[in-house]
Amino acid sequence: MNHSLLFLIPLLPLFCAVINLLFGMRLPRLFAEVMAVTGVAGAFVLTLIFWGHAEGEGTRAVLFTWLNSGTLDVSFALNFDRLAAPMTLMVTGVATLIHLYAVGYMHEDDDYGRFFALLNLFVFAMLVIVLADNLLVLFLGWEGVGLCSYGLIGFWYRKLENAKAGTKAFLVTRVGDVFLGIALLWLFALTGTLSIDAINDQAAAIPSGVVIALSLLLLLGACGKSAQVPLMTWLADAMAGPTPVSALIHAATMVTAGVYLLCRFFPLVSLSAVAMTAITAIGALTAIYAATCAMAQREIKRVLAYSTMSQVGYMFMAVGAGTVAGAMFHLLTHAFFKAVLFMAAGCVIHLAGDENDIFKMGGLARRGPVELFWVFLAGAVCLAGLPLTGGFFSKDGILLALFTHPDPVYRVFWLVGVLTALLTAFYTFRLVYLVFAGDYRGAGHPHAIPLLMRWPLWPLALLGLAGGLLNLPAFVGGGERLHHWYGALAGREVSASHDVEWMLIALAAAIAAAGWLAAHWRYRSYRPPLENRASRFLLSGWQADALVDRLFVRPFAAMARFCSSGCDRTLLDGTLDGLARLVSSWASMLVQLTTGRLTTYLSAFAWGFLIVLGWFLIKLVNGGGH
Amino acid sequence: MTMLASLPQFPWLSLLVLLPLGGALLCLLHSGRAAECRALALATSLAVFGVALYLFVCHGQGEGRWLLYEDSAWISRYGIRYVLAMDGIALLMVLLTAFMQLAAILLAWKVERQVASFFALLLLLESGLMGIFLAYDLVFFYLFWEVALIPMFFLISIWGGVNRRRAALKFFLYTLVGSFFMLVAMIALYQIHGGQTGVYTFVIGELLQTRLTATQEGWLFAGFLAAFIVKSPLVPFHTWLTDALTEAPAAGSLDLTGLLLKTGIYGLIRVAFPLFPNATANFLPILGVLALVGLFHAAWSAYHQDDIKRLLAYSSISHLGLVVLGLAAWQLTAWEGSILLMVTHGITTGALFILVALIRERTATRSMQELGGLWGQVPCLAFFFLLFSLASLGLPGLANFAGEILVLLGTFQDHPVWAVVALLGVVFAAAYMLRLIQGVIWGPAAKERSLPDLTPREWLMLLPMALLVVWLGLYPEPFLAPLHGTVATLLAGGLP
Repeated sequence: MNHSLLFLIPLLPLFCAVINLLFGMRLPRLFAEVMAVTGVAGAFVLTLIFWGHAEGEGTRAVLFTWLNSGTLDVSFALNFDRLAAPMTLMVTGVATLIHLYAVGYMHEDDDYGRFFALLNLFVFAMLVIVLADNLLVLFLGWEGVGLCSYGLIGFWYRKLENAKAGTKAFLVTRVGDVFLGIALLWLFALTGTLSIDAINDQAAAIPSGVVIALSLLLLLGACGKSAQVPLMTWLADAMAGPTPVSALIHAATMVTAGVYLLCRFFPLVSLSAVAMTAITAIGALTAIYAATCAMAQREIKRVLAYSTMSQVGYMFMAVGAGTVAGAMFHLLTHAFFKAVLFMAAGCVIHLAGDENDIFKMGGLARRGPVELFWVFLAGAVCLAGLPLTGGFFSKDGILLALFTHPDPVYRVFWLVGVLTALLTAFYTFRLVYLVFAGDYRGAGHPHAIPLLMRWPLWPLALLGLAGGLLNLPAFVGGGERLHHWYGALAGREVSASHDVEWMLIALAAAIAAAGWLAAHWRYRSYRPPLENRASRFLLSGWQADALVDRLFVRPFAAMARFCSSGCDRTLLDGTLDGLARLVSSWASMLVQLTTGRLTTYLSAFAWGFLIVLGWFLIKLVNGGGH
Repeated sequence: MTMLASLPQFPWLSLLVLLPLGGALLCLLHSGRAAECRALALATSLAVFGVALYLFVCHGQGEGRWLLYEDSAWISRYGIRYVLAMDGIALLMVLLTAFMQLAAILLAWKVERQVASFFALLLLLESGLMGIFLAYDLVFFYLFWEVALIPMFFLISIWGGVNRRRAALKFFLYTLVGSFFMLVAMIALYQIHGGQTGVYTFVIGELLQTRLTATQEGWLFAGFLAAFIVKSPLVPFHTWLTDALTEAPAAGSLDLTGLLLKTGIYGLIRVAFPLFPNATANFLPILGVLALVGLFHAAWSAYHQDDIKRLLAYSSISHLGLVVLGLAAWQLTAWEGSILLMVTHGITTGALFILVALIRERTATRSMQELGGLWGQVPCLAFFFLLFSLASLGLPGLANFAGEILVLLGTFQDHPVWAVVALLGVVFAAAYMLRLIQGVIWGPAAKERSLPDLTPREWLMLLPMALLVVWLGLYPEPFLAPLHGTVATLLAGGLP
């Protein structure tokens, strides 16, 4: 089979996006919907067909040269390898289900053409990140997902807050992109190539100090896209977008791009213990930070947004602890159960009559279709890490990797991870109780939930629950399939005695149960939200926005004012005006010249030119030639 | 047949310069008949574009320094020759000029006052620009430099906005003072060369051999630099541009930002750097810093603007800062990036200026406070606005990114700090462009009004530009290929 057919995987969604963008609104709605879903589903099928190409060393495909100048030669090239293949399958698979859900979700919105075009374009860009063979193509996808995220967060653009949330997301992630950009420039200067594999091969030859710097730059780049501390402020506001967008972009795929980036450059990053510790520390910090914030949130989607940050923090910890397989395992299970939670949350919001506040919900289990409760619960138990669920195994693998790490400082990270797990179980069940238990406290009229918003949840819920099978640890009789699949790319072999493993697993189960019990005790019967300083602090995300505003936004605006008004207007133009007054007589003469009869003047000009031209021609004929 | 074979090559380059001049003269002779003038101007610029395209396709590749070269004696007594020479860089600039001029003519279609003069001036400007990009004799170069100045002065001062007088005068004075220094330096160089060799000539190729002391070289370089830096413009000589761009009529702004700004940078590449290699080498670090200062200063200033045209004017200065930075890095990839960025910036910012004019026509305002929500009112126009804004903020896959990343990759090789600082400017560019997008197309509609979406004539302007922006973003190879040889020669001939 021709390798360049691999390009069909990303290009199919792109094609459908372009068609929908250009003609979506002129064709029947059904056409746009079918187009959007087929594009993504087609990519999913193609991934299955090409699956064999990922085995071994993987397969490269080159389309054409993008930039060629001097020593630089960058092509549009894909690399379908063992790391990329499962991610591709997840992205296309989850995206297909979310697209189906979106068809139901958007059935009353008139602007469907733009919506589906952007959603398909996003899938294209995400696949470009996943499949990129070189850093520049990866960067193309990287910025592309940012653009789609921007466009979709602000999809309902008539409300200025939505547009502002989109702008904020774009800007904050772009700060991260600058660091990724610096890493890109530096890597090219060092290695003379932008091919990811070639860079990884040459990584050992790079001086260790530079490796640390490069790894930290990549880490900061990853932080931007993955909403990790300190570049996390945009994700909670991004919930302004339509719910399928939150499910696809801000839960399952784009926010995990940072993790994927670090896994891609794992051979480079893992050379430096300092960088690995930094990655773990960022992950741990974000995990605990976001978990505390989630405990105090009132809007259902913001709870989920903070939990996403927190879970992605676990993935960062996994990379830092040296296990790529562990990170990817959690990435996959998280994608399943978080997508379910978001999509179910969309249904919940429908049922509550477009109400976001969980304190104005309650009793929704009885108000809507009963299966909604079960599906939501399935996602919730995965997130809370109840035993035997997918989330349980993937999270436990990460905690085990942290616990068994030779460096003692990782025990601290492990402790943070355990504490976060406790908080996670608590806020997850807080959510479940507030939304589903008790009596309905709101005043909204429930909207009907279309069928297409209901059944795509089932496969994802099952995948979330059974996700543990992907990489079941050996001591419970599993084959660790994901670990073996990644082979050399899987990172550190995490091993411990069976006693330790059983102890950790028992601890994890106990913690999940404890979190549940705490939530049960607190929210079994409804209590209004606490109104105190601590809860306000957590609700505002530790006042991070105010801090950013004071540290960056205001100085920037002040500097802008200074450059424009102070410098250009007052200083430069003022000086010039002074000079102009000196020569004002001359100036006024010039102005008068132009107020005269223009046509006369221009005609004179034209005749003058003709004369010059004539003279020149005569000269040419006389003195002519070379 | 023998006669034909002995004839020199067809003077394509002269045609490029003379065609628009002829068109301008014809327009003036037809003054009073507006429709004919429009058709005439369009036909002329189509013909010029055809010639430029032909040269790009058929003479785009070649061995040696020049792709095409025309040389005749002109005023023999003073050694002034008629020399037009086209290398890869000139080829791209010529193509850009011809292309943008088409858009400018279409944009000027609706001018009602003194139509003949307007189109004549536009065509005269084109002729001047072609001359600047092709002349290889200093007198000739200077002549066209001034020729390009005059029509722009009139375009602003007659058809401009409320403050047109002031803006036009500022533009005129700045450029005139700058070019005065160039004139002095030019004559001095001529004298020195003549004194040394006994051959008095203004041909740049021969002046390259002049032996200069370090002091002489420094002063002469400074003279040329004065003209080029003001035109580029580098901070702090930029305030004429923001006023001129804001006040100029739509077609004038388009030509000013898309083409005229590039002449300064082009002069550096073609005249100042090769003639004074040692002075250049000493000056490059200063140039780099000036470029960075300009990049940031303009980005900050852009963020503060409410008038969208003024915002775009500042964004132009900021982008050109990056172009100059690439030149200051003195590295092959960076130079090719700079030149590509000149072209792509011309197209994207030019398109944005067109859109601003269209928005102004419909809403009678350019203030972001009074705009907003255009996506719901004029979706096609808003889509183009979004596309070109995204291209301008450097989104990969669109035109500007290709140039920018080449500049940055090349600059980083020898000057990592410059590249890193410039990269921070990327966030700034995003900040003001996103503010612009948000203020114009998102948000609630400022007024409930029904606005007409794009007309066929407007589609005709914007669609080719949009296609080009995508093409240049994904496959700039055909435009980079002619540059390789030229840039390598220039770099080798310059720095010690």
